[in-house]
Order: sequence, then structure tokens, then C-alpha cells
Amino acid sequence: MNDPYRVLGVDRNASEDEIKKAYKNLSRKYHPDANINNPNKEQAEEKFKEIQAAYQQIMKEKTEGYTYGGGPYGRGNTAGQGRYGDNPFGGFGGFGSFGGFYGGQSDNTGYEEEPIIRAAGNYIRSGYYKEARNALDGMEEQNRNARWYYYSAIANSGLGNNVSALDHARRAAALEPGNTDYQNLVTRFENGGSWYEQRQARYGYPTTGGGNICMKICIANLICNVCCGSSGMCCGGQGFYY
Amino acid sequence: MFGYIIVNKAEMKFKEFDVYHSYYCGLCRVLKDKYGVAGQLSLSYDMTFILMLLSGLYEPETIRGECKCIAHPFEAHETRINLLTEYVADMNVLLTYYQCQDDWDDEKKLHKLVLGRLLQSKSRKCQAAYTEKVRNINMLMFQLSDAEKENNEDIDVMSGTFGKIMAQIMVPREDEWSENLYRFGFYLGKFIYLLDAYEDIEEDIKKGTYNPLKKKYNSPEFEETCKTILTMMMSECCKEFETLPILENVEILRNILYSGVWCRYEAVREKRKPAEGEKQ
Repeated sequence: MNDPYRVLGVDRNASEDEIKKAYKNLSRKYHPDANINNPNKEQAEEKFKEIQAAYQQIMKEKTEGYTYGGGPYGRGNTAGQGRYGDNPFGGFGGFGSFGGFYGGQSDNTGYEEEPIIRAAGNYIRSGYYKEARNALDGMEEQNRNARWYYYSAIANSGLGNNVSALDHARRAAALEPGNTDYQNLVTRFENGGSWYEQRQARYGYPTTGGGNICMKICIANLICNVCCGSSGMCCGGQGFYY
Repeated sequence: MFGYIIVNKAEMKFKEFDVYHSYYCGLCRVLKDKYGVAGQLSLSYDMTFILMLLSGLYEPETIRGECKCIAHPFEAHETRINLLTEYVADMNVLLTYYQCQDDWDDEKKLHKLVLGRLLQSKSRKCQAAYTEKVRNINMLMFQLSDAEKENNEDIDVMSGTFGKIMAQIMVPREDEWSENLYRFGFYLGKFIYLLDAYEDIEEDIKKGTYNPLKKKYNSPEFEETCKTILTMMMSECCKEFETLPILENVEILRNILYSGVWCRYEAVREKRKPAEGEKQ
């Protein structure tokens, strides 16, 4: 593929806003919706696909930086294809996958003689989180070891079950405190929170000394809802639209 | 389950609030035009947020107008209305309709029952237009209600089911953004469901009604666990948000996502603090 930055016509050091702006400008021009009557609409569509892919790739690289604390663990590489719509009740394939997670010390020696654990590991490496979950659930509770909890955490995370993902990652780390893979996984899940808190600082958290102000606003919001609703007249006067 | 996704007005510029309010009034107007007063009753700030996010992403032609509100008869309010306003209004009515049914099952509140009936025929309008979506939401609502009756205490399953409902609502059409929007809605839904549970926990224990956090409530780390879980949900949600090419009103949306969503949480926590002091 072409250099995604060149496709969007932005500098490598461009800010996220600049990238979004560049994408929007190009998208307005080449989006299929804007080219319905264009005799060269196929070319426009090709161009749009290229722009879309470039944008997604750049954003993926950018988000890797903050998604998991800048670690080597990418988000993309979604092997579980389950696109939204295919199976809305099944595993949604795209819940952050675990590309590049299996370097380091997770060589498969010793740990994975147990067939269920081995199967789960293989499923996870291919992005089949639901299958991994099923395999893992087939193991009796008393046989579940640190490795089981580790895989279970990853499978859960892939399925969007982030509460038990963190829980199981912590259990794996507690069962085998020396294992850096397990510890890294815990850190990675917890970092999601610290990334958010860093950004939050810019928008003012509604506690500091202003807890009451915040409460007043909440109450004001409720009252506003009530008066709009019960009177049934909010925005009901003159005026028109369309 | 409404009123959690709001702005933190204290941290907002006046101009920004006016824009936010104009989307709110626009939604209110469309709800009234399409569904009458009953529809208007269902208006929520959460849906205003969804409308603004989708408008920022798709940038449809938006018509600015004015209307007067009975609460402020001399002051004209600005309205912003676009193609997505109607979609969001439909979703608003749909959710309220199910929520009313839910309350009726649970608590048999008379006025809610009346409202539920009022909306019933109206919400069929959306059923025709969004059959597929409505069917999915319908199924998920049943799943959620059944799981609550069975007293399922798996936090991921319960909040995830509501998450899937929000995910359905977040995706107005299948296109290059559906996956991002789906994940965004999924985690936002989990956040809303759990914040609602957090707010109601004491009352639910008193009344003996369902609450997914009951098991955790007895733990001394209850407060901390809830905060961690809720932060995790918003963090996942915002990661999706930041990858979307949204520029229009992005500061308002960030005010909501990084600050406003914690207003209700803090209000609940503040209220609970003295009670905790007495306990000790």
C-alpha cells in the first residue's frame, strides 16, 4: 500500500486533528454518496477506499500509542472477522485484538501440554475468542491454573467482557507472580484507565470543590426534562423546519 | 436508565452550551411533530449526545431554526435539525417504550403504564422503518429482562446485553464506521447500565429488586471497584471515539465523554458519603 500519510496529504508529524481534517476534505470529494452522478464514480470509489484505508491505518498507529500505554501490543489485526451484523449476538470480532502479544517468553513449552489450554491458545492466536472461551469453559474449575486465567482474560477482552478480563488477568498474575506476561496483561488493562484519566484532566472532573455545583446541574437537568415533558410545550410554539 | 450522558456545564463555554441546547430543542421538536406530546415526554439528554456525535461524524445538512418554549415564553430557542434527528428521535421513542414496559413488569407504576400504551402505537412506526434493528433490540430487551428475572449476576453478560442495545442504536447504517460505532455504543451501554445499577443499589437491596452489583456491594472495595469498572468502560468508549473523524462540536462531545458522564456518578457518591460515615 502507498504511504498512508501521502494518501491523505499530511505530514508525518501531523496532529490527530489535522489528520481528521485532511480525511474529511478528501472524503467529501470521493465518498460514494457524493459521486452518485459522477460518470467516473468507480475511480472515485477506488480513491475513497484508499483514503479510508490510509486513515484507518494512521489512526491505528496513533491509538496504539495510547491504547495500551505505548507497549508493543497492537490493536488491529482483527483475525476474528465477525463483522457487525453477521452475528450480532455472537462475539463481535473487533474488540481489540491481541496482535503481537505472543512474543517474549510465551513460548509454548511445558504450559500447554494440557490439550484444552493448548487449543485455547491456538484459538486466541488466530483471533477466535468465542471458540477459545468455549474451550476454556470446558475445563473443570479445580484444574484451572494461571495459564487458564491468562487465556481466559484475553478471550474475555476479545469478546468485550472487560470486567472479567481484568479480574482473570489479576488472578493469573497472583497465581504466578514472577510471570511478566501475566503482569503485563494486568498493566495493559489498567492502563486503559490511566490513558482516560490523563485526557480527562483537560476537561475538568466534576468533583474538586464543585461537587455541589455538579449536583445542582444534574438536578437542573432533571427539572428541565420535567418541564419540557409535563407541560408538553417545549419548543412547541411557532417556527418550522424542513 | 436515562440522564447519564450529560454535559458538565461548569466546564463549558456559553456558546458551546447554546449549540448543545439547539440540538436538544431540535430533537424535542421532531419528537413532538412525529410522536406528539407523548414522544416529547421521552426526550433525553443521552439521545442529544448520540445525535451530536452522529451529526459530527456524518455532517448532514443541518437546518437552523427557532422556537419558543413555554418555560421561557419570551426567549426564542435555537434549533438544529437534520436527517439524523429523526433517526435519533425514533430510537428515543423505541427505548422509552421498552423501558416503560420494563417498569410496568417490575413495579406496575400506573402513570408509566399509561405512557407505555400511549407510545405503543407510535413506536410501531419505527418498527416498520427499522424492522431489523427493532427485532434485534427487542430480542436483546427480552434477554436482559429474562436474565434479570433469573438474577444473573455476571456483570459482563448483563451490562453487555444493554451494551448491545446501545450498539444497535449507535449504528444508523452499515458503512465504513459501523464497527467503530458499534464498539463505541457497546461500551457506552455497559457504562450506562452499570452506573444505573450503582445509583440504585441501596434502593434495590431495600426493596429486594434485581441489581447486578449486589454481590459486590458487600465487599469493602465496593466504591473503588465500581469506579475502576466505570472508568474502564469510558476508556474503551473514548478510544473508539478518538479514532472517529469528528471535528464539528468535538469539544462539546469531549466535555460529555470525559467530564459530564461523571456528574451523576459524583452526585450519587456525594449523597452516599454521610451515610457511610454513620455506618462506621
